[in-house]
Amino acid sequence: MASRRERRLWLASLLSLPFLLAGYYAINAWRNAEDYIKRNELRVSDNVGGQTYAKASWTLNQARVIGDGRDGKIAFPGQMRLVVVRLAARAEDDIGQSWAQCSLTLTDPIGRRWQPLNFILSKDLSRDLDPKATPIDSCDTISRQPPAKSANTLIEEKFVVPADAISSLSAQLSFASTRPEAISFPLRLN
Amino acid sequence: MIRLLLSLLLVGMTALLLAFLQSTTPSYAVLTGPIETSGPQKDTVSSKTFSVKVAKLLRAKTIAFTSYGKPVERQTEGAWLIVSVELQSKYDTMTIQAAAIEGASGRSYRQTHRADGAPRLLSSKDLQPGLPTTGIFIFELPEDETSNMALVLSRQPSPQLDSEIRVKLDGETVETRDRVEIGNNGV
Repeated sequence: MASRRERRLWLASLLSLPFLLAGYYAINAWRNAEDYIKRNELRVSDNVGGQTYAKASWTLNQARVIGDGRDGKIAFPGQMRLVVVRLAARAEDDIGQSWAQCSLTLTDPIGRRWQPLNFILSKDLSRDLDPKATPIDSCDTISRQPPAKSANTLIEEKFVVPADAISSLSAQLSFASTRPEAISFPLRLN
Repeated sequence: MIRLLLSLLLVGMTALLLAFLQSTTPSYAVLTGPIETSGPQKDTVSSKTFSVKVAKLLRAKTIAFTSYGKPVERQTEGAWLIVSVELQSKYDTMTIQAAAIEGASGRSYRQTHRADGAPRLLSSKDLQPGLPTTGIFIFELPEDETSNMALVLSRQPSPQLDSEIRVKLDGETVETRDRVEIGNNGV
Protein backbone atom coordinates (compact mmCIF):
# COMPACT_ATOMS: atom_id res chain seq x y z
CA MET A 1 0.00 0.00 0.00
CA ALA A 2 1.49 3.35 -1.07
CA SER A 3 2.02 5.96 1.58
CA ARG A 4 0.03 9.20 1.58
CA ARG A 5 3.11 11.15 0.50
CA GLU A 6 3.72 8.81 -2.42
CA ARG A 7 0.08 9.12 -3.55
CA ARG A 8 0.29 12.91 -3.38
CA LEU A 9 3.47 12.88 -5.46
CA TRP A 10 1.85 10.54 -8.01
CA LEU A 11 -1.16 12.85 -8.29
CA ALA A 12 1.03 15.95 -8.63
CA SER A 13 3.04 14.23 -11.40
CA LEU A 14 -0.14 13.28 -13.23
CA LEU A 15 -1.56 16.79 -12.97
CA SER A 16 1.72 18.33 -14.19
CA LEU A 17 1.70 16.26 -17.40
CA PRO A 18 -0.72 18.52 -19.36
CA PHE A 19 1.31 21.59 -18.38
CA LEU A 20 4.60 19.95 -19.39
CA LEU A 21 3.07 18.88 -22.71
CA ALA A 22 1.70 22.38 -23.34
CA GLY A 23 5.12 23.83 -22.43
CA TYR A 24 6.85 21.48 -24.87
CA TYR A 25 4.53 22.54 -27.73
CA ALA A 26 4.88 26.21 -26.82
CA ILE A 27 8.71 26.04 -26.88
CA ASN A 28 8.65 24.22 -30.24
CA ALA A 29 6.16 26.72 -31.68
CA TRP A 30 8.31 29.61 -30.42
CA ARG A 31 11.43 28.15 -32.09
CA ASN A 32 9.55 27.63 -35.38
CA ALA A 33 8.16 31.18 -35.24
CA GLU A 34 11.66 32.56 -34.59
CA ASP A 35 13.02 30.56 -37.52
CA TYR A 36 10.21 31.86 -39.78
CA ILE A 37 10.85 35.46 -38.74
CA LYS A 38 14.61 35.13 -39.37
CA ARG A 39 14.00 33.77 -42.88
CA ASN A 40 11.38 36.25 -44.11
CA GLU A 41 11.26 39.95 -44.83
CA LEU A 42 8.26 40.94 -42.74
CA ARG A 43 8.98 44.62 -42.06
CA VAL A 44 9.95 46.57 -45.15
CA SER A 45 10.79 50.26 -45.01
CA ASP A 46 11.86 52.64 -47.75
CA ASN A 47 15.57 53.44 -47.73
CA VAL A 48 16.17 56.93 -46.37
CA GLY A 49 19.38 58.73 -47.36
CA GLY A 50 22.00 58.52 -44.60
CA GLN A 51 20.20 55.67 -42.83
CA THR A 52 22.52 52.87 -41.65
CA TYR A 53 21.42 49.34 -42.42
CA ALA A 54 23.62 46.28 -41.79
CA LYS A 55 26.44 48.64 -40.75
CA ALA A 56 26.44 50.49 -44.09
CA SER A 57 24.64 53.35 -45.82
CA TRP A 58 22.96 52.44 -49.10
CA THR A 59 21.93 54.26 -52.25
CA LEU A 60 20.45 53.15 -55.54
CA ASN A 61 23.29 53.76 -57.98
CA GLN A 62 21.61 52.63 -61.21
CA ALA A 63 18.51 50.85 -62.51
CA ARG A 64 18.32 49.93 -66.20
CA VAL A 65 15.70 48.26 -68.36
CA ILE A 66 17.11 46.31 -71.28
CA GLY A 67 15.16 44.56 -73.96
CA ASP A 68 12.65 47.13 -75.18
CA GLY A 69 15.16 48.75 -77.54
CA ARG A 70 15.49 52.01 -75.57
CA ASP A 71 18.68 51.16 -73.63
CA GLY A 72 21.00 49.47 -76.09
CA LYS A 73 19.84 47.71 -79.20
CA ILE A 74 18.92 44.42 -77.59
CA ALA A 75 15.26 43.44 -77.95
CA PHE A 76 13.82 40.52 -76.00
CA PRO A 77 10.80 38.56 -77.21
CA GLY A 78 7.31 39.40 -75.98
CA GLN A 79 7.00 40.71 -72.45
CA MET A 80 10.49 39.65 -71.37
CA ARG A 81 12.77 42.42 -70.06
CA LEU A 82 16.10 42.50 -68.25
CA VAL A 83 16.40 44.83 -65.26
CA VAL A 84 19.87 45.64 -63.96
CA VAL A 85 19.99 47.02 -60.42
CA ARG A 86 23.16 48.49 -58.96
CA LEU A 87 23.41 49.53 -55.31
CA ALA A 88 26.21 51.61 -53.78
CA ALA A 89 27.22 50.95 -50.18
CA ARG A 90 29.52 52.75 -47.78
CA ALA A 91 30.71 50.73 -44.78
CA GLU A 92 30.04 52.83 -41.68
CA ASP A 93 31.56 50.22 -39.37
CA ASP A 94 33.41 46.90 -39.50
CA ILE A 95 30.99 44.73 -41.54
CA GLY A 96 32.25 41.32 -40.36
CA GLN A 97 29.48 38.75 -40.87
CA SER A 98 26.67 41.35 -41.06
CA TRP A 99 26.17 40.84 -44.81
CA ALA A 100 25.93 37.05 -44.68
CA GLN A 101 23.00 35.47 -46.60
CA CYS A 102 22.43 38.62 -48.61
CA SER A 103 19.14 38.81 -50.46
CA LEU A 104 18.47 41.38 -53.19
CA THR A 105 15.16 40.78 -54.95
CA LEU A 106 12.63 42.73 -56.99
CA THR A 107 9.05 43.01 -55.79
CA ASP A 108 5.87 44.60 -57.05
CA PRO A 109 2.75 45.83 -55.20
CA ILE A 110 0.75 42.66 -55.93
CA GLY A 111 3.24 40.50 -54.04
CA ARG A 112 5.30 39.06 -56.86
CA ARG A 113 9.01 38.54 -56.19
CA TRP A 114 11.80 38.02 -58.73
CA GLN A 115 15.09 36.40 -57.74
CA PRO A 116 18.31 37.51 -59.46
CA LEU A 117 19.82 35.53 -62.32
CA ASN A 118 22.47 33.02 -61.40
CA PHE A 119 26.14 33.97 -61.20
CA ILE A 120 27.22 32.46 -64.56
CA LEU A 121 24.36 33.92 -66.58
CA SER A 122 24.83 37.29 -64.91
CA LYS A 123 28.54 37.43 -65.78
CA ASP A 124 27.82 36.34 -69.39
CA LEU A 125 25.23 39.10 -69.74
CA SER A 126 27.62 41.70 -68.29
CA ARG A 127 30.17 40.74 -70.95
CA ASP A 128 27.51 40.91 -73.70
CA LEU A 129 26.27 44.32 -72.55
CA ASP A 130 29.70 45.90 -72.18
CA PRO A 131 32.63 43.70 -73.24
CA LYS A 132 35.22 46.22 -72.00
CA ALA A 133 33.85 46.81 -68.50
CA THR A 134 34.78 44.67 -65.49
CA PRO A 135 31.61 42.92 -64.24
CA ILE A 136 30.39 44.14 -60.87
CA ASP A 137 30.03 41.47 -58.18
CA SER A 138 26.72 40.20 -56.94
CA CYS A 139 25.35 40.60 -53.45
CA ASP A 140 26.40 37.08 -52.47
CA THR A 141 29.99 37.51 -53.72
CA ILE A 142 30.45 40.88 -51.99
CA SER A 143 29.06 39.51 -48.72
CA ARG A 144 32.04 37.14 -48.50
CA GLN A 145 34.52 39.99 -48.95
CA PRO A 146 32.81 43.09 -47.61
CA PRO A 147 34.52 46.50 -47.78
CA ALA A 148 36.63 47.80 -44.91
CA LYS A 149 35.29 50.52 -42.63
CA SER A 150 34.71 53.82 -44.52
CA ALA A 151 35.27 52.11 -47.91
CA ASN A 152 32.70 52.07 -50.74
CA THR A 153 31.51 49.22 -52.92
CA LEU A 154 29.00 48.44 -55.67
CA ILE A 155 26.62 45.49 -55.88
CA GLU A 156 24.84 44.50 -59.09
CA GLU A 157 22.10 41.97 -59.78
CA LYS A 158 20.16 41.21 -62.96
CA PHE A 159 16.53 40.14 -63.17
CA VAL A 160 14.20 38.86 -65.87
CA VAL A 161 10.78 40.46 -65.41
CA PRO A 162 7.62 41.04 -67.49
CA ALA A 163 7.28 44.45 -69.15
CA ASP A 164 3.97 45.21 -67.39
CA ALA A 165 5.66 45.09 -63.97
CA ILE A 166 8.52 47.48 -64.78
CA SER A 167 6.88 50.72 -63.64
CA SER A 168 5.99 49.43 -60.16
CA LEU A 169 9.18 47.54 -59.23
CA SER A 170 11.14 48.00 -56.02
CA ALA A 171 14.46 46.43 -55.08
CA GLN A 172 14.39 44.86 -51.63
CA LEU A 173 17.56 44.22 -49.62
CA SER A 174 18.05 42.16 -46.47
CA PHE A 175 20.63 40.03 -44.66
CA ALA A 176 20.47 37.21 -42.12
CA SER A 177 21.56 39.73 -39.47
CA THR A 178 18.74 42.18 -40.27
CA ARG A 179 15.74 40.02 -41.13
CA PRO A 180 12.79 40.39 -40.62
CA GLU A 181 13.66 44.03 -41.40
CA ALA A 182 14.39 44.85 -45.06
CA ILE A 183 14.96 48.10 -46.94
CA SER A 184 13.32 48.95 -50.21
CA PHE A 185 14.43 51.10 -53.13
CA PRO A 186 11.60 52.10 -55.52
CA LEU A 187 13.18 51.91 -58.99
CA ARG A 188 10.83 54.41 -60.71
CA LEU A 189 11.43 52.91 -64.14
CA ASN A 190 9.20 53.79 -67.07
CA MET B 1 -14.49 -9.46 -7.83
CA ILE B 2 -16.74 -6.68 -9.21
CA ARG B 3 -13.90 -4.22 -8.75
CA LEU B 4 -11.58 -6.43 -10.81
CA LEU B 5 -14.17 -6.80 -13.57
CA LEU B 6 -14.76 -3.05 -13.64
CA SER B 7 -11.00 -2.43 -13.90
CA LEU B 8 -10.71 -4.90 -16.78
CA LEU B 9 -13.67 -3.28 -18.53
CA LEU B 10 -12.12 0.17 -18.09
CA VAL B 11 -8.76 -1.01 -19.47
CA GLY B 12 -10.53 -2.69 -22.42
CA MET B 13 -12.57 0.44 -23.24
CA THR B 14 -9.48 2.64 -22.99
CA ALA B 15 -7.61 0.33 -25.37
CA LEU B 16 -10.53 0.46 -27.82
CA LEU B 17 -10.70 4.25 -27.61
CA LEU B 18 -6.94 4.56 -28.20
CA ALA B 19 -7.11 2.15 -31.15
CA PHE B 20 -9.98 4.21 -32.64
CA LEU B 21 -8.04 7.45 -32.20
CA GLN B 22 -4.90 5.93 -33.71
CA SER B 23 -6.73 4.50 -36.73
CA THR B 24 -8.56 7.76 -37.49
CA THR B 25 -5.61 10.16 -37.00
CA PRO B 26 -4.06 11.07 -40.38
CA SER B 27 -0.36 10.23 -40.62
CA TYR B 28 2.32 12.92 -40.56
CA ALA B 29 2.97 12.30 -44.27
CA VAL B 30 -0.71 12.96 -45.06
CA LEU B 31 -0.92 16.04 -42.83
CA THR B 32 2.17 17.61 -44.38
CA GLY B 33 1.74 16.16 -47.89
CA PRO B 34 1.27 18.01 -51.18
CA ILE B 35 -1.60 20.40 -51.82
CA GLU B 36 -2.99 18.78 -54.93
CA THR B 37 -4.81 20.39 -57.87
CA SER B 38 -6.14 18.22 -60.71
CA GLY B 39 -7.48 19.02 -64.13
CA PRO B 40 -7.90 17.74 -67.67
CA GLN B 41 -5.37 18.21 -70.44
CA LYS B 42 -7.52 20.66 -72.39
CA ASP B 43 -7.51 23.21 -69.54
CA THR B 44 -4.84 25.36 -67.95
CA VAL B 45 -4.51 23.74 -64.52
CA SER B 46 -3.72 26.28 -61.86
CA SER B 47 -2.44 25.81 -58.31
CA LYS B 48 -1.73 28.50 -55.73
CA THR B 49 1.88 28.87 -56.87
CA PHE B 50 2.07 27.87 -60.54
CA SER B 51 -0.01 26.81 -63.54
CA VAL B 52 0.48 24.41 -66.44
CA LYS B 53 -1.04 23.97 -69.89
CA VAL B 54 -0.16 20.84 -71.85
CA ALA B 55 0.38 21.79 -75.49
CA LYS B 56 1.45 18.55 -77.17
CA LEU B 57 2.11 14.86 -76.46
CA LEU B 58 4.50 12.83 -78.60
CA ARG B 59 5.38 9.14 -78.40
CA ALA B 60 8.41 7.76 -80.24
CA LYS B 61 10.89 4.91 -80.37
CA THR B 62 13.86 7.17 -81.10
CA ILE B 63 14.72 10.69 -80.02
CA ALA B 64 17.51 12.80 -81.48
CA PHE B 65 19.01 16.09 -80.39
CA THR B 66 22.27 18.03 -80.33
CA SER B 67 24.01 18.36 -76.98
CA TYR B 68 27.04 20.66 -76.69
CA GLY B 69 27.48 20.53 -80.46
CA LYS B 70 27.40 16.71 -80.62
CA PRO B 71 24.50 14.85 -82.23
CA VAL B 72 22.86 12.40 -79.83
CA GLU B 73 20.38 9.64 -80.67
CA ARG B 74 18.61 7.51 -78.06
CA GLN B 75 16.45 4.43 -78.65
CA THR B 76 14.20 2.59 -76.25
CA GLU B 77 12.60 -0.85 -75.81
CA GLY B 78 9.55 0.93 -74.41
CA ALA B 79 8.42 4.36 -75.51
CA TRP B 80 9.72 7.89 -75.26
CA LEU B 81 7.03 10.29 -74.18
CA ILE B 82 7.68 13.96 -74.84
CA VAL B 83 5.31 16.35 -73.12
CA SER B 84 5.37 19.91 -74.38
CA VAL B 85 3.95 22.39 -71.83
CA GLU B 86 3.62 26.05 -70.91
CA LEU B 87 4.36 26.82 -67.26
CA GLN B 88 3.79 30.00 -65.33
CA SER B 89 4.84 30.92 -61.81
CA LYS B 90 2.43 33.17 -59.95
CA TYR B 91 4.38 34.89 -57.18
CA ASP B 92 8.00 33.73 -56.93
CA THR B 93 10.87 32.79 -59.17
CA MET B 94 10.86 29.00 -59.07
CA THR B 95 11.92 25.83 -60.86
CA ILE B 96 9.87 22.69 -61.45
CA GLN B 97 12.32 20.04 -60.27
CA ALA B 98 9.84 17.18 -60.08
CA ALA B 99 7.92 15.94 -63.09
CA ALA B 100 6.54 12.42 -63.38
CA ILE B 101 4.12 10.40 -65.46
CA GLU B 102 1.71 8.19 -63.60
CA GLY B 103 1.08 5.32 -66.01
CA ALA B 104 -1.89 3.01 -66.55
CA SER B 105 -0.65 0.62 -63.82
CA GLY B 106 -0.36 3.44 -61.28
CA ARG B 107 3.44 3.33 -61.35
CA SER B 108 5.24 6.64 -61.43
CA TYR B 109 7.97 7.41 -63.98
CA ARG B 110 10.29 10.35 -63.32
CA GLN B 111 11.99 12.32 -66.10
CA THR B 112 14.67 10.34 -67.87
CA HIS B 113 18.34 11.18 -67.45
CA ARG B 114 19.08 9.58 -70.82
CA ALA B 115 17.99 12.79 -72.51
CA ASP B 116 20.01 15.16 -70.28
CA GLY B 117 21.40 17.98 -72.37
CA ALA B 118 18.43 18.04 -74.77
CA PRO B 119 17.28 21.53 -75.73
CA ARG B 120 14.23 23.13 -74.09
CA LEU B 121 14.16 20.85 -71.04
CA LEU B 122 12.08 22.60 -68.41
CA SER B 123 13.84 21.13 -65.38
CA SER B 124 16.78 23.46 -66.00
CA LYS B 125 14.70 26.61 -66.51
CA ASP B 126 13.73 29.28 -63.97
CA LEU B 127 10.08 30.30 -64.05
CA GLN B 128 9.71 34.04 -63.57
CA PRO B 129 6.38 35.43 -62.29
CA GLY B 130 4.33 36.94 -65.10
CA LEU B 131 6.36 35.32 -67.87
CA PRO B 132 4.99 32.08 -69.39
CA THR B 133 7.76 29.57 -70.08
CA THR B 134 7.45 26.85 -72.69
CA GLY B 135 9.50 23.68 -72.91
CA ILE B 136 9.44 19.91 -72.69
CA PHE B 137 9.64 17.02 -70.25
CA ILE B 138 10.95 13.66 -71.54
CA PHE B 139 9.97 10.30 -70.03
CA GLU B 140 10.89 6.72 -70.88
CA LEU B 141 8.23 4.17 -69.97
CA PRO B 142 6.78 0.80 -71.06
CA GLU B 143 4.53 1.03 -74.10
CA ASP B 144 1.42 -0.28 -72.31
CA GLU B 145 1.66 2.43 -69.63
CA THR B 146 0.88 5.12 -72.19
CA SER B 147 -2.79 4.15 -72.58
CA ASN B 148 -3.86 6.01 -69.45
CA MET B 149 -1.55 8.64 -67.99
CA ALA B 150 -1.35 11.65 -65.71
CA LEU B 151 1.39 14.27 -65.62
CA VAL B 152 2.38 15.17 -62.04
CA LEU B 153 4.39 18.36 -61.43
CA SER B 154 5.75 20.03 -58.33
CA ARG B 155 8.54 22.35 -57.25
CA GLN B 156 10.48 19.44 -55.71
CA PRO B 157 10.00 15.69 -55.30
CA SER B 158 7.59 14.66 -52.51
CA PRO B 159 6.45 18.22 -51.78
CA GLN B 160 5.36 19.06 -48.24
CA LEU B 161 2.53 21.58 -47.86
CA ASP B 162 3.38 22.82 -51.34
CA SER B 163 1.47 22.74 -54.63
CA GLU B 164 1.34 19.64 -56.80
CA ILE B 165 -0.49 19.67 -60.13
CA ARG B 166 -1.92 16.52 -61.69
CA VAL B 167 -2.99 16.74 -65.33
CA LYS B 168 -5.04 13.83 -66.67
CA LEU B 169 -3.65 13.18 -70.15
CA ASP B 170 -5.94 12.32 -73.01
CA GLY B 171 -4.57 9.18 -74.71
CA GLU B 172 -6.23 10.11 -78.01
CA THR B 173 -4.15 13.25 -78.37
CA VAL B 174 -0.82 11.40 -78.22
CA GLU B 175 0.90 11.72 -81.59
CA THR B 176 3.04 8.69 -82.47
CA ARG B 177 6.21 8.97 -84.56
CA ASP B 178 9.13 6.62 -85.17
CA ARG B 179 11.70 9.31 -84.53
CA VAL B 180 11.46 12.74 -82.95
CA GLU B 181 14.04 15.47 -83.50
CA ILE B 182 14.26 17.86 -80.53
CA GLY B 183 15.52 21.23 -81.66
CA ASN B 184 15.82 24.68 -80.15
CA ASN B 185 12.31 25.46 -81.38
CA GLY B 186 10.79 22.40 -79.71
CA VAL B 187 9.39 19.22 -81.24
